[in-house]
Amino acid sequence: MTRTTARAARTVAIEEAGDDVLRLTLDAAGLSFTLDEARRIAELLGRDPTVVEAHIFNTMWSEHCSYKSSREVLKKYLPTEASNVVLGPGEDAGVVRFCEIDGTSYCIALAHESHNHPSQVVPNEGAATGIGGIVRDVYCMGADVIGVLDPLRFGDPVGRHAERTREIIHGVVEGIWQYGNALGVPNLGGDVYFDESFDDNCLVNVVAVGLVEEGDVVRSRAPAEAASVPYDLVLVGKPTDPSGFGGATFASRILDEEKAFDDKYAVQVPDPFLKRMLTVATQEVLKLLKARGVAVGYKDLGAGGIACVTSELGAAAGLGVRVDLSKVPVAVGGLLPEVIACSETQERYCLVVPRDVSAEVVRIFNEKFELPELCHGAAAVVVGEVIPEPRFILEHEGTVVCDASTEQITAGVCYERAQRRHERDVPEVGIPGDIDVADAVLRVLASPNIASREHIYRHYDSEVKGNTVVRPGEADACVVAPIPGERVGMAIAADGNPFLAALSPYEAGAAAVAEAVRNVAAVGAVPIALTDCLNFGNPEIAEVFQDFVDAVRGIGDAARGIGMKDSDEPIPVISGNVSFYNQSSAGNAVLPSPIVCAVGRVSDIAHHATLGMKSTGSSLLLVGERHGELGASAFMRTVAGGVGAGPPHVRADEERAMMAAVTDLIEAGLVRACHDISDGGMVVALAEMLLGSSPDTEIGADIGLGAVLPEGGAGVGGGVSGEGRRVAVDALAACELLFCENGGYLLEVDPADVERAIAVLAKRGAWHARIGRTTATSGLVVRADGIGDIVVSEGEMSGAWLNGATEVML
Amino acid sequence: MSESGPNIAVLRFPGMNCEEETRRSVLATGASCDIFMWNGPTSTLADYDGYVLPGGFSYQDRVRAGAIAAKDRVVDCLFEQAERGKPVIGICNGAQILIEAGMVPGIRAGSVEMGLAHNIMPDRDGYYTRWTHVVVAHERCCATAALKPAETVPIPVAHAEGRFVTRDEGLVDRLFEAGQVVLTYGAPDGTPADGFPDNPNGSSRNIAGISNPAGNVVAMMPHPERSSWMFQLPDDLPGEWGRRRRHARGGDALFGPGPGLGVMSSLVRFIENNGKGA
Repeated sequence: MTRTTARAARTVAIEEAGDDVLRLTLDAAGLSFTLDEARRIAELLGRDPTVVEAHIFNTMWSEHCSYKSSREVLKKYLPTEASNVVLGPGEDAGVVRFCEIDGTSYCIALAHESHNHPSQVVPNEGAATGIGGIVRDVYCMGADVIGVLDPLRFGDPVGRHAERTREIIHGVVEGIWQYGNALGVPNLGGDVYFDESFDDNCLVNVVAVGLVEEGDVVRSRAPAEAASVPYDLVLVGKPTDPSGFGGATFASRILDEEKAFDDKYAVQVPDPFLKRMLTVATQEVLKLLKARGVAVGYKDLGAGGIACVTSELGAAAGLGVRVDLSKVPVAVGGLLPEVIACSETQERYCLVVPRDVSAEVVRIFNEKFELPELCHGAAAVVVGEVIPEPRFILEHEGTVVCDASTEQITAGVCYERAQRRHERDVPEVGIPGDIDVADAVLRVLASPNIASREHIYRHYDSEVKGNTVVRPGEADACVVAPIPGERVGMAIAADGNPFLAALSPYEAGAAAVAEAVRNVAAVGAVPIALTDCLNFGNPEIAEVFQDFVDAVRGIGDAARGIGMKDSDEPIPVISGNVSFYNQSSAGNAVLPSPIVCAVGRVSDIAHHATLGMKSTGSSLLLVGERHGELGASAFMRTVAGGVGAGPPHVRADEERAMMAAVTDLIEAGLVRACHDISDGGMVVALAEMLLGSSPDTEIGADIGLGAVLPEGGAGVGGGVSGEGRRVAVDALAACELLFCENGGYLLEVDPADVERAIAVLAKRGAWHARIGRTTATSGLVVRADGIGDIVVSEGEMSGAWLNGATEVML
Repeated sequence: MSESGPNIAVLRFPGMNCEEETRRSVLATGASCDIFMWNGPTSTLADYDGYVLPGGFSYQDRVRAGAIAAKDRVVDCLFEQAERGKPVIGICNGAQILIEAGMVPGIRAGSVEMGLAHNIMPDRDGYYTRWTHVVVAHERCCATAALKPAETVPIPVAHAEGRFVTRDEGLVDRLFEAGQVVLTYGAPDGTPADGFPDNPNGSSRNIAGISNPAGNVVAMMPHPERSSWMFQLPDDLPGEWGRRRRHARGGDALFGPGPGLGVMSSLVRFIENNGKGA
């Protein structure tokens, strides 16, 4: 690249400006950083920045890109190291070892992100580009994406903003299927909650999981060889347009109704068709480069666009880059250089390849796969080069529009935010003594937060790729056999009960880990890694920031406390995302929402469990003591009319023992069906197991409440059968046992295997009790002396559970 | 035909996404199989003994699902091979392409006689995924030759436009009479589906798959490549295959052939019955 003229780039006058003038200058330029940050930039550069530089800093120093509020907290509390971790947080996706077959080490790449603001403003495109962004993060590690999950939080569909909320639900679900199904990546579940705190800020989180051979992992950096051998930067994908210009800063402030129209232009435009073609073509390119034995770098373009990707590719290697923005294919003429540099146009990647193969790489994209023919203006183009000196140089039409050290650009900023713990105002809620427990079961089953999600997941293609073993709705986690011809399975689940956070963000963080772990264990998978997405309000508010810190502490403590099976290592958190400013201009912040996804390994999918009851005459085992902590439970919110106090405490040692025992049992083939106990408590879990059985067989359940009492079971070394034990309880005690959301599992076991199963539970030190059996008469019977037997028919249960959520989404 | 069995091409149009697993399913029958690019050398397309058009979203479903791919030059070539009697199965988006190309039902070959319209379902719209119980309505075509008459074959559907429709009112009757309706949606016991969800899309008279008059070209909406191994079947599936699936738990049977593999085996059987390049 040669410099043709010495035309001076436009600058932003910071150094000489007073506060008022500076604010006006920044506003006029569309720059959202603070006056203080502006002056730090000028100080860092030793001069006024050019307009392009100012926009780059504006993006790179946004909360979205820099994690300026959260970085130190995450570093302090989350365990990110373990012997199976290949790459922890820091790259586009974390990578963890999965299995070894014939000397080849296969790894799982995992990434988790939010697309909350865009989905609130334009639900379809927002949710679609959420998937688009997260799969790029996994593809660019050299991995093939084998699944996506969508944890969703919507407003109250029967509340004050019901109409808008239902529009958002419809749009988000549509965006997810339109993008994910077309891309050809199976949807492996997620979760859904409704609450009015999400009326003004829905949460659309998205997880992508990929498979990659350890030797094929591609780093998001220029290879070291680029210091001595010429390397080109190849930009490939959609032509750059102004869409998503300012997207990172949009994600880093609160939503303002009045600006909603402008904000729509900060949301990118999805194109799953082009993404599919880019994916197929890139796999061929990576195969070629591997065959040539050359080191390469590969990174997707997300927030901050070309400026962010090229500077980080250079900085991560201690090298510099020079990019000619005039060479970037554009969709419309007349784009300013700062727009070309920072727009978030979707479906783009940047490859760092040796100059002697770059022409061949470009040919594969443009000729073999005909990108320019398939999508107007799409192409692969060499836009720049790696330079040995660590400088970030952008040129545009012969003018140098940015010339800074890569370190200055990518170092970001860091804030120590104030924290202040606030007293939570929790009104006392009483449970009426004459409560009809059978009616309460039905009301909880019919509540939108508990009822079946079938209406949603039947929009999603969960079977494309042909590797799916367990689909959404069939078990607590989805399972795929990602290596065709091999029996090893990957299980994945995402969780995060926001109602717990109303009482204790710490417990909510810990519970998200515990539930995600239980969900993968319940299909027979041993957890190997976690990823998190942390959704909160404005971090500049001390109470909000305290909530964030507490939730992160909870995640870290649970990841360490539960730990990996038969190991003293934590379950590593290998990637994650923080989403702040989920707060409207009216001041409504979302319930603190730490969401955690766990990945597990099933060593042989011949032995996995689903939740539907399989046979009549089976024994039912309860694993996990009922501590009766009803706070924030679905029962309290639905039946008692308030959140109540005392959320279920996560007892990491109990969770650890249960996880080990349950995975042992499933692996040994001793379990017919397994379901974890979480939202709704054990009675909801039991109902779901009955409703999940094959329609061919009539199966009911008959349990004794006396057996569920803490003293009905056995801990270490025990093996007490509580079956048939009759203990008088009052209605309140019954509700505590049946509806408390303390972690646990229900197992359906062949009576011939019960003694062996109990021996395993006892050996692992997991509390357990025989609580009853499956019967040939459908429906649920809970024997309870004192209040009379609780009887619920199959028809009542299925009516409540199948329609409860569907009705509010139509 | 090589000694190892026939040689099948799975066609890849831009935007398709089921090529790999469709190829694996074909390979499981003992046939050879390549993925053939839409812009590949058409001169070599004739070298194959049979063809599968897999699922996906060719050309982004622009205009209508399958409409653009149907105009690709590789489809002209496919048309010629089909005229020579070679078998072609279109699955989901592949079915949409065959309909748009006028290869199915093919009464007047080359003219579009039917359409695959958007699903009609109570209380929902758009894409729908579900395991269906597909019943063999006629067993002489290239997708059913290895299946038994009236056999129930569980195969999942996944589509937004899968409802066979026609403007010609008598056409559906004529197709039934001529044995061109080869697959229909049934209840788990094989009796005709009585509306949604056993009929997942509102398809006219439960039609799930149609052939041309010669039976060598079939357009079907269900995805047999997702039902080719037992482990792919849900364990709450009703019917005989569901019972077998639950019994397969814990053993090697879980990795044995699933019901959908019968469709790919039919393709091979059809080629064997008719001889190479018939």
